[in-house]
Amino acid sequence: MDLNYTPEDIAFRKQVRTWLEQNLPKKEIRNLEDRRAWHRKLCEAGYLGMGWPKEYGGGGARPMEQAIVADEMARANAPAPTNSLGLGIVGPTIVVHGTDAQKKRYLKKILTAEELWCQLYSEPNAGSDLAALKTSAVDQGDHFLVNGQKIWTSGGKIADWGLLLARTDTKVAKHKGISCFLMNMRQPGVDVRPLKQITGSSEFCEVFMTNVRVEKSDQIGKLGEGWAIAQTTLGYERGGRALARITNYASHFSRLVGAARRMRRHGKPLIEDPVVRQKLGRIWSEIEVERYQALRTLTLLERGEHPGAGGSLTKLSYSELEKRFMELALEILGPYGQLTEGAPEEFQLEVETAVAEQASWAYAYLWSRAGTIYAGSSEIQKNVIGERILGLPKETRADRVGGKA
Amino acid sequence: MNFSFSDDQILLRNSVHAALEEQCKPAHVRAMFDDPNGYSAELWGEMAKLGWLGLPFPEEQGGAGLGLVELALVLEEMGRVAYPGPFFETVVLGGLGIMLGGTPAQKDKWLTAIAAGKARATAALLEEHLDWDPTSTAATAARSGAGWTLSGLKRFVPWAHVADVVLVPARSPEGLSLFLVDPKASGVTLKPMVGIDLVSRWSEMRLDKVAVGADALLGQAGTAGPLLESLLRRAAVMSSAEMLGAARRCLDMSVEYAKVREQFGQPIGSFQAIRHRCAEMLLEVENAHAAVYYAAWALTAGAEDAAIASSICKAYVSEAARKVCGDAIQVHGGIGFTWEYDLHLYMKRAKALEPLYGDAEYHRELIARHVSSTR
Repeated sequence: MDLNYTPEDIAFRKQVRTWLEQNLPKKEIRNLEDRRAWHRKLCEAGYLGMGWPKEYGGGGARPMEQAIVADEMARANAPAPTNSLGLGIVGPTIVVHGTDAQKKRYLKKILTAEELWCQLYSEPNAGSDLAALKTSAVDQGDHFLVNGQKIWTSGGKIADWGLLLARTDTKVAKHKGISCFLMNMRQPGVDVRPLKQITGSSEFCEVFMTNVRVEKSDQIGKLGEGWAIAQTTLGYERGGRALARITNYASHFSRLVGAARRMRRHGKPLIEDPVVRQKLGRIWSEIEVERYQALRTLTLLERGEHPGAGGSLTKLSYSELEKRFMELALEILGPYGQLTEGAPEEFQLEVETAVAEQASWAYAYLWSRAGTIYAGSSEIQKNVIGERILGLPKETRADRVGGKA
Repeated sequence: MNFSFSDDQILLRNSVHAALEEQCKPAHVRAMFDDPNGYSAELWGEMAKLGWLGLPFPEEQGGAGLGLVELALVLEEMGRVAYPGPFFETVVLGGLGIMLGGTPAQKDKWLTAIAAGKARATAALLEEHLDWDPTSTAATAARSGAGWTLSGLKRFVPWAHVADVVLVPARSPEGLSLFLVDPKASGVTLKPMVGIDLVSRWSEMRLDKVAVGADALLGQAGTAGPLLESLLRRAAVMSSAEMLGAARRCLDMSVEYAKVREQFGQPIGSFQAIRHRCAEMLLEVENAHAAVYYAAWALTAGAEDAAIASSICKAYVSEAARKVCGDAIQVHGGIGFTWEYDLHLYMKRAKALEPLYGDAEYHRELIARHVSSTR
């Protein structure tokens, strides 16, 4: 056990920090073109797709190096690249399950953000029960015809392509009738509508598909393997943001302590209130424990081991912590915490959040409610932990009894 | 960066685990409930032979020269079986205290004897107001000839009734000092304080003008403040390791029980109400593991964040253990509330350690001081 960073990792971190100092955009990113330009710069520096195999334009980097780049970007408050689902989910899926032709056709353009991707998984009636999805893909001989509706498609509005899960067989058990496809979003029959969230913004979309064409050559894996493929893609978030996430929390925490120093209660600075101090002490210990856990995960990844269902513990832990943290922030900040406009500088959250760039506590607070729902709700994670780590018996479910699909 | 145990560490853990599974079964723990000493001298001798009693001490004093990560591994296993006996007190409170602040002669005398299984030690860190801040010490040490006269009232002194030496903080003219006191010395009265964990023995220790020699002073007079803070940090982390072991045992028992106990015609573990609770317990146990071993490493390596990591560890693990052990009773239902079932042995061990060496609130205040001074 040695929790010091190696000299190589320290040198690498320094190199990334220097690069960021010299290359951070001088101007605010206003539109997709600005962001694409920043994305290309990161790509040319070798800081994107770092874990992808070299033969497909990736960096073949160690998990720690990826975590360090993300962490330094968080420290520098650097804008995020675009195409996060392309880089994080679609690319790795094609690397593992795609044909050579698919790899040649798609991977490079994902890296360079020439083509932007979204993920077409959830449906209005298939959320936690994703395998209940109803969107159909019907074999037409030389292509598939897709009909149905997807929801919670992040980046749907700007996406050129989507990674699609659709039902190709209604006669078998529901998990076995699903297949995986690459679908061109720029064609007639694809209707993308922004979904306005409680934040007032629209990071997500609804996607309606009416007689949409998917080429045979864009099928990933075999027919009926879609569910299994989706299970592996959910595991691709391999600790790349493990350190960056904590750095973000730590920076938010410093802002919160700063604000508590300026506010007063009963004539005394809030930071001297023992109740506030207890709550701050608790959250800081939870953030630090999350950091220790990140080091544990990275140790595993560096040894080439996959955390497997352990990823469910990680996701459950940080998403629930983020919710508690943001609730505390709004409690301490009072109405300042709810401002979306007009907040004095010292009560702003000037840090780019992981997914969006609204620098208000209010936005971060509302956004924290999403984390325990998306990518497997906390309840689903607890089921996975119970069944796959603790070995507890599966529950009796209505869709598993009586041979119903 | 490597947050995993070395082969040697795993070997150590496995051998401690095997020895305790064999020699510290629940029946042994229960047999100690009514034992006047409260621990088995035979097992103590065995631990000396296995090298556990000298684990963190230098080799020249008969120790193994290992660090706190190794000691935490041993203590986690002890928490797992609710080991009855003064191991923690002797090795951590007494042993590390003497190792941190003792003169060469004191180290030679005591560490050697402890490692050989010939002496037991402890420390009297609490007075009636239960303030863990060493500056709150009210006991006094007056110069008397070449030696000292100690007076004061100490409470919750663990395993003092079988100790050969007790580290006693007292206020001398030079400031806060630490003394090595024989609990059988004239002027010392011990009165048992019996808690819910019948195998965590405490005493009230009254010192009424106890005369000790010049060599009873640990290190230099007036220097005990920083020493006690270092010792408290180590005690906080090492007791957390023991709580972690107890919590893990409670989780394991709950999971096993949930697989076999049937209600409504199904194993209760198939119900989400139970399964989700078990998943939450595992999350707490795994986070507690990270907190314990990070802090143990940081203290051993002298890392810059060692002090804050120790407070984070004790604050986090105290509450995690409280939740996990409490939830374990809930998962078990009625059987978990019976004396015959073993669950309460581990739950009570964790409960006994929860308020010691600073409870969660004490440490959260230290954390708050740290974060508000650095931000």
